[in-house]
Amino acid sequence: MKVIECERLVKAYCSMKALDQINFSIEENTITGLIGRNGAGKTTLLKIIAGFWRGTEGEVKVFNRSPFNNLEVSMNSIFVDDMMSFTYTLNLGEILDEAKAFYPNWDEEIAFALLEYFNFNPKQTHQSLSKGKRSTFNMIVGLAAKCPLTIFDEPTTGMDAAVRKDFYRALLKDYLIAPRTIIISSHHLDELEDILEDILLVDEGKKVLQLPVDELKEYAVTLSGRTAVVMQTLQDKEVIYKRDVNIDNCSVVVRNNFSHEEVKRLGIQVSPVTPTDICVYLTNQTKGAIDDVFNKS
Amino acid sequence: MVLNMDSTIPIYVQIAEWLENEILNGNLKIDDKVYSQYKLADMFTINPATAAKGLNLLYEEKILYNKRGLGKFVSHEAMTIILEKRKEMKLKGLLNEAVQEATRLQVTEEELLEMLKQIMKESKGE
Repeated sequence: MKVIECERLVKAYCSMKALDQINFSIEENTITGLIGRNGAGKTTLLKIIAGFWRGTEGEVKVFNRSPFNNLEVSMNSIFVDDMMSFTYTLNLGEILDEAKAFYPNWDEEIAFALLEYFNFNPKQTHQSLSKGKRSTFNMIVGLAAKCPLTIFDEPTTGMDAAVRKDFYRALLKDYLIAPRTIIISSHHLDELEDILEDILLVDEGKKVLQLPVDELKEYAVTLSGRTAVVMQTLQDKEVIYKRDVNIDNCSVVVRNNFSHEEVKRLGIQVSPVTPTDICVYLTNQTKGAIDDVFNKS
Repeated sequence: MVLNMDSTIPIYVQIAEWLENEILNGNLKIDDKVYSQYKLADMFTINPATAAKGLNLLYEEKILYNKRGLGKFVSHEAMTIILEKRKEMKLKGLLNEAVQEATRLQVTEEELLEMLKQIMKESKGE
């Protein structure tokens, strides 16, 4: 079953299109990583899915309904980011108690166990928390709500490496116990990729690709060797990125859809490209490379 | 047993290899039930779909067999298949690399064979 379906979705701010005819769907009970550069349209997309904002054109369906102003959708989904606001009249413990009334699947036990694990004082207020602590608390709410659609928009902002690691593990364990549809946007793809099933890569408001992580890992390879030799093998290949190592040597990232034996025999080194690097290469909007900026002077 | 997340080998292949090792060293015997995709996901902190892909790889190679609703089990031919495959893939691959490196270093065939014999003698001596 498809939980989210987007068809030609557009979100325009004045003349700028944050989302530009984006098409995709997300299957039930999968963990999808939403990846993209700053300003690619990730948050806009997630807020429209969560029903916070309305699209300008096109269609979004969440649980087969239009999410904007829809009670059914908001009851079954939660949107977690670092701007989540809670009332300052309640302390953390009371917030967790109150949340029970909002979410039918609320898991009180997990909520308080995580609160204790991460060393929170239940008497503290949300406003008094540091940036990282606030993100951690929001994450606890997001997990304990056990919503059929759980959206995390850069949930790890401000978290230290140890907490991020715990968060990924907690997310996976909780998903194994209570499978649900999870979308996470993040700039830490390298840390996250193992727990993801799919990756949705967006750039300039458009979908670049949507693939299982395993396939993305084999999506491209780097060919490195003598420039003259590498160049002559490129004719039938799709070049994604090229970098000169020095005058004689270069490395080229190409689509991985050919037999490696042939190029290896020519003395070219074939090495894999990490999903993080593929995403960077595929969304390269800068003019030339960073080296060019410095080479001009 | 920790997976090498930075390795060039995809995680699901590493899962399959890890299970093969469990069979080779006798931790999993013929007709034993192997870990479910969810158990593997929990053990290695990976997505259960990735774990399932590893299990399926072994199922397709007939190292595991399916009992409907019960999970996957070690087949009778598992050991033979794994040994054959490793010889064919891994050993040949390593030898290939050795030959390529030898060519680059201008080591002759005789010299390479001599080195190989020497190494085999040494490892037997221990």
